[in-house]
Amino acid sequence: MIAAIDLKKYFGPVAAVNGVTFTAYDGQVTGLLGPNGAGKTTTLRMLYGVMRPDAGTIEVDHVDATKHPRDAQARLGVLPDVAGLYPRLTAREQVRYYGELHGIDGGALEERTNELLKTLDLMHLAERRSAGYSHGERTKVAIARALVHEPQNIILDEPTNGLDVMSTRAVRAIIKRLKAEGKCVLFSSHVMQEVSALCDSIVVIAGGKVVAHGTPDELRAKAGYDSLEDAFVALAGSGEPR
Amino acid sequence: MKMSRPLPRWARQVRVVLVKELVDSFRDKRALSSILLSILVGPLITGFMMNRIADRQKEADEVRVPIVGARNAPALVQWLSQQSGVVVATGPTDPEQAVRDQSEYIVLVVPPGYADDFRSSRPANIKVVADSARSDTRAQVERVQRLLQQYNAEIGALRLIGRGVSPAAATPLKIQGVEVSTTQQRAAKLLSVIPLMVLLAAFTGAMQLATDATAGERERGSLEALLVNPVPRGALALGKVTASALAGMLAVMVTAGLCTALLRFIPLQELGMRFRFGTPHMVGLMAAALPMCLLTASVQSCVATLAKSFKEAQTYMGILILAPMLVGVMGTLYPIDHQPWMYGVPLLGQYILLTSVLGGYAPGPLAFAAAAATCVACAVLMLRATVALLNDERIVFGR
Repeated sequence: MIAAIDLKKYFGPVAAVNGVTFTAYDGQVTGLLGPNGAGKTTTLRMLYGVMRPDAGTIEVDHVDATKHPRDAQARLGVLPDVAGLYPRLTAREQVRYYGELHGIDGGALEERTNELLKTLDLMHLAERRSAGYSHGERTKVAIARALVHEPQNIILDEPTNGLDVMSTRAVRAIIKRLKAEGKCVLFSSHVMQEVSALCDSIVVIAGGKVVAHGTPDELRAKAGYDSLEDAFVALAGSGEPR
Repeated sequence: MKMSRPLPRWARQVRVVLVKELVDSFRDKRALSSILLSILVGPLITGFMMNRIADRQKEADEVRVPIVGARNAPALVQWLSQQSGVVVATGPTDPEQAVRDQSEYIVLVVPPGYADDFRSSRPANIKVVADSARSDTRAQVERVQRLLQQYNAEIGALRLIGRGVSPAAATPLKIQGVEVSTTQQRAAKLLSVIPLMVLLAAFTGAMQLATDATAGERERGSLEALLVNPVPRGALALGKVTASALAGMLAVMVTAGLCTALLRFIPLQELGMRFRFGTPHMVGLMAAALPMCLLTASVQSCVATLAKSFKEAQTYMGILILAPMLVGVMGTLYPIDHQPWMYGVPLLGQYILLTSVLGGYAPGPLAFAAAAATCVACAVLMLRATVALLNDERIVFGR
């Protein structure tokens, strides 16, 4: 479970995030929906502990992340906004590196690495250096390394951004599988179909604030539109990037 | 029996980062070639200087003088062969070609008319075929030319005496050159270049790894993902700095080893220098140089973390390397009067210690300890600065 309570973050005089509150529950997929520049990435960066909020609290499985960032991070698996791989390491080594940083080693790590590479269909890349990977392959390896320590909570920042149809489907399948395993999945997107197809709960943010929060049906009802896209545009104001 | 206690969690994380960075850079051709280059530059320069000294020695040794038409000047040939260290040989059929393709460095050509001219006291023609563009044999060519001038003067003097004139009348000037540079001094300069090479190796050896693990990590976009792991920034920085310090230490050890191994090939004793180099000396060199690698690696990592890009980091590395060069150049130009406080100045302390160990007079363990302590203390400060940078969101996410 991930809870954000009245998060605020300023970049100089600009309030990038201005009082965001929501909760993402276990066994659910929560979508963070918003136009470009709405504050999605900044919100997520605070949640996964690489940016300090100027105000507000974060709880990950009831651990106060602002007070115990490492404990919170240990419970999180994250695909960040920029998820670069090490070009001279193989897929297996990238996954293993993160596993070792989480304190897993030996047979348990080998087993978990193999399992991830198999389920994400990455076995053919296991011993190949990542320098020549396609965008989809890189994303999948980055997801694999984020899941190596079997985190209860998973944060994915625009996981399908720039992916082709096949890779997008693969990522959606991963999200569905994680939900079925009872994990708490929080992902951001600006793609409407994706959010409506996957999410149990949607948080719409615009201008650094939560403008709506609910199930897809609730949002449609609230905005008075049948299509989620129209509902989104209505809820997020003009929908234009600031 | 000693039980190995399990390392604390952060120490294991340091080790994980360290091993990853070493494996990663071992596969990096750029890092490898930079380490290789830094390892080879020192010995190459030492070898080059050694060669120069050997050349100067060759000058005093034997010169071989190939002569074409030796029959035409039996007296000259006999005089030459009587000079010490001169060996007269039969010249090649095509003297100019032989000098051009460097099979001979000099050929004397005595034309058939030499004997007639010589007998009737006319200037007798003699050709010296040499290549003035070749610097390696210049000393020998000059020696042969001096021999010919000497013969010229001797015969001229004899002729003047035969005509009842004092030879002194024909030599208004007596030119005397005073050479102040001795071979010993040149050899001493050779020894002073080794400490500089060792200092440089500590910088160049660690440079690529330090840049790649910090500025490279950010430029590739792998830093944000790395920081999501529950690892203290201090453990990340320490792992990365230790990895580049190890690369610097490797470069230092190989440079010191190769340079001193090369010294065995110079007959330093013959040059009047006492030079003995054994295991205690090598231990002294390492005790002086290895702690410095921690400092160079932490300075480089800190500066490279501050840089906005890999390119910018490399520019800073080029500026940083001026520091050991400055110390080395100052050390060569001005004989440093060793003051106790100098041991506590990073780089300068190491330079003095290295020079002392090579010179055969090692200062006490306190000097080594003081030099090492200041390096480690400065390294810790730089490490803390790096951690502060990694905690700065403006640094992590670019500006």
